[in-house]
Amino acid sequence: MASIARKNLFEDIPRFLVAQAGIMFAVSLVTIQVGILKGFTRSTALLIDQSTADLWVASKDMVHLELTSPIAAEKVVQAQQVSGVERAEALMIRSSIWRSDSGLITPVRIFGFDPNSRLFAGWDVSQGKLNAVKQPFKVVVDRSSLKNLGQTQIGEQGKIGTLPAQIVGLSQDTQSIVSSLFIFTSLENANAYATAGLNTSVNCTRKTQGNLVCTNNFDNAPLDGKPASLTPPRSLSISDPISYVLIRAKPGQDLQQLKQRLEAALPDTRAYTQAELAEQTQVYWSERTGVGFILSLGATVGFVVGMVIVGQILYSSVADHLREFGTLKAMGASNWVIYSVILEQAMWMAVLGYIPSMAFCLGLGAWTQTAKGIMILITPATAGGVLILTVVMCVGSALFAVQKVTRVDPAIVFKA
Amino acid sequence: MTATQIDLLQSAGSASQANLSIRLERTEVNAIAARGVEMVYQSGTERFQALKNIDLEVKSGDIQLLMGPSGSGKTTLLSILAGILTPTSGSVSLLGEEISKLSSSKLAKFRLENIGFIFQGFNLFPALTALENVEVALNLKGIRRAAAHRQALDLLDQVGLSQQAKRHPQDLSGGQKQRVAIARALAGNPRLIMADEPTAALDSHNGHAVIELLRNLAKEKGRTVLIVTHDPRIIDVADSVAYLEDGVLKSGVRTR
Ligand SMILES: Nc1ncnc2c1ncn2[C@@H]1O[C@H](COP(=O)(O)OP(=O)(O)O)[C@@H](O)[C@H]1O
Ligand SMILES: [Mg+2]
Repeated sequence: MASIARKNLFEDIPRFLVAQAGIMFAVSLVTIQVGILKGFTRSTALLIDQSTADLWVASKDMVHLELTSPIAAEKVVQAQQVSGVERAEALMIRSSIWRSDSGLITPVRIFGFDPNSRLFAGWDVSQGKLNAVKQPFKVVVDRSSLKNLGQTQIGEQGKIGTLPAQIVGLSQDTQSIVSSLFIFTSLENANAYATAGLNTSVNCTRKTQGNLVCTNNFDNAPLDGKPASLTPPRSLSISDPISYVLIRAKPGQDLQQLKQRLEAALPDTRAYTQAELAEQTQVYWSERTGVGFILSLGATVGFVVGMVIVGQILYSSVADHLREFGTLKAMGASNWVIYSVILEQAMWMAVLGYIPSMAFCLGLGAWTQTAKGIMILITPATAGGVLILTVVMCVGSALFAVQKVTRVDPAIVFKA
Repeated sequence: MTATQIDLLQSAGSASQANLSIRLERTEVNAIAARGVEMVYQSGTERFQALKNIDLEVKSGDIQLLMGPSGSGKTTLLSILAGILTPTSGSVSLLGEEISKLSSSKLAKFRLENIGFIFQGFNLFPALTALENVEVALNLKGIRRAAAHRQALDLLDQVGLSQQAKRHPQDLSGGQKQRVAIARALAGNPRLIMADEPTAALDSHNGHAVIELLRNLAKEKGRTVLIVTHDPRIIDVADSVAYLEDGVLKSGVRTR
């Protein structure tokens, strides 16, 4: 068929552009919402996904990665004795406040781990050395967090609580969008940061006429005022609280059975595979917080808006060309031929709307990732799904427009 | 062959239907035959009888005119004879086939294979070039790509428009547009041509050229042409003229 569909579409360029703008809006909205949802969900489990531990043992209270009750460090020793365990090590998660030199403060989540193994820290260190955190008061932060910490580059120093913290490495793809900024360091450093508190004092002076004037002082320097005499962090004792025991299984272990053995040997704990913990964390964030619902709602709105716009444009295009469709009918074109013209028009709109939108979204995703540390995750599955959705959207709208043609009386062709 | 004979043959059973239609085509005399056609337009409670008991026979190969004042029912009758409008009662057979009995999809197929249309308003596809307009008609008839291209060029050549093949309708004069429409109507070599006021939108010079063209192209291939018009100049080229008045067919006049 000499392409009536394509020619009719391009005949009215302004209308075509409006239609494409509408489709691009819809496609981008859907893609970005889904991408943010996926990126968001994935970001909440980035640390779990990139760890090389086979099992994570946590308090049975555990809700998600960052929300769990502490367990005693002796559990590591106990776990090491369970048969099938090749290696057990501690992971400590604590909260504190980061203070930059300029005085900016921001909440942080401190991950204390064993820098000699990569059971926890499977991720890439793009600058600096992971091993450097073995030194007292040295930390690694995610490169996307630097700015929010009030820092600009590796080597700079801030404070966590009252203690110094020097950035010795930058990690990549570790930060969860929903969490406080992550600080990675050794178990010893993390323990020291977690237990160092604020100092307060009250100064009162008696003025003339008997007035007592008091001032509260909140101080984040040690009371003795000699930060230079910092004692290096002490080693962990078996009674210190940790958050997880990370397990590497011996080769060929059945993980489900090992989980049961661990849970039996370590009372009041539960063991999770990497996938189970990631799933539980992701489900928590996407469902329990309503973020998933809101983003899905956004995607749905995008879809509906796109459908309405495409439907409207196709409908008015069909209405404008009704006489031509009538002529085709009079000439003896079957209904299918006429539908195929409208469907072809819809497919052109879908494809020509999809390609630039997807390019735009990929570009936007790359930008937000580097500039904002916000991941808009557009997987091939998402891209494919959105393409199908776009086609469904356009074809669905076409079906709506087709009704108008099915009802056209071919006798209109004889109306002058 | 009389109507009764046709009825008898048609009731002979569906197994021999294909054979039957070939035999009928070979023996037919009338390309178009309408019997007792009535048309009542009903809109709400308004009832308007546009055609009253029309009997019309058009001989194969004839150029038949249908004339009459505005509102007399010419377009209505043409639509019915072309299988576009279903009459309230009566029967129509084209090329020996009783079309009033066909389903709408069969009817569409029949039109596609046998009827070329020419409209007062040209009804070209404005987004397509002259050539593509003709190609679309060929495509509909299952002729595609290179073959369609070649035949479309040939048809445009026959109507004297090979130079204008790449132009869009908006860049053509009224006469040229109607010639493109004629080329399109001739696509696929239909045996019937139905034209509704083909010269009404044209000046007398162009109108005449269009009629000459229709006559030559139709006569050459032995096509049957039904032209609705109230242009008296066309009478010269017609084999037969029928007059409609208030939905009633006055006795036809043979001009040759
Ligand atoms: N769809 C319709 N509904 C109601 N009345 C109609 C319709 N089409 C035509 N008519 C009426 O039928 C009569 C014949 O119309 P038409 O066949 O178009 O006449 P002509 O082509 O001779 O001018 C006119 O009075 C017209 O108003
Ligand atoms: Mg008329």
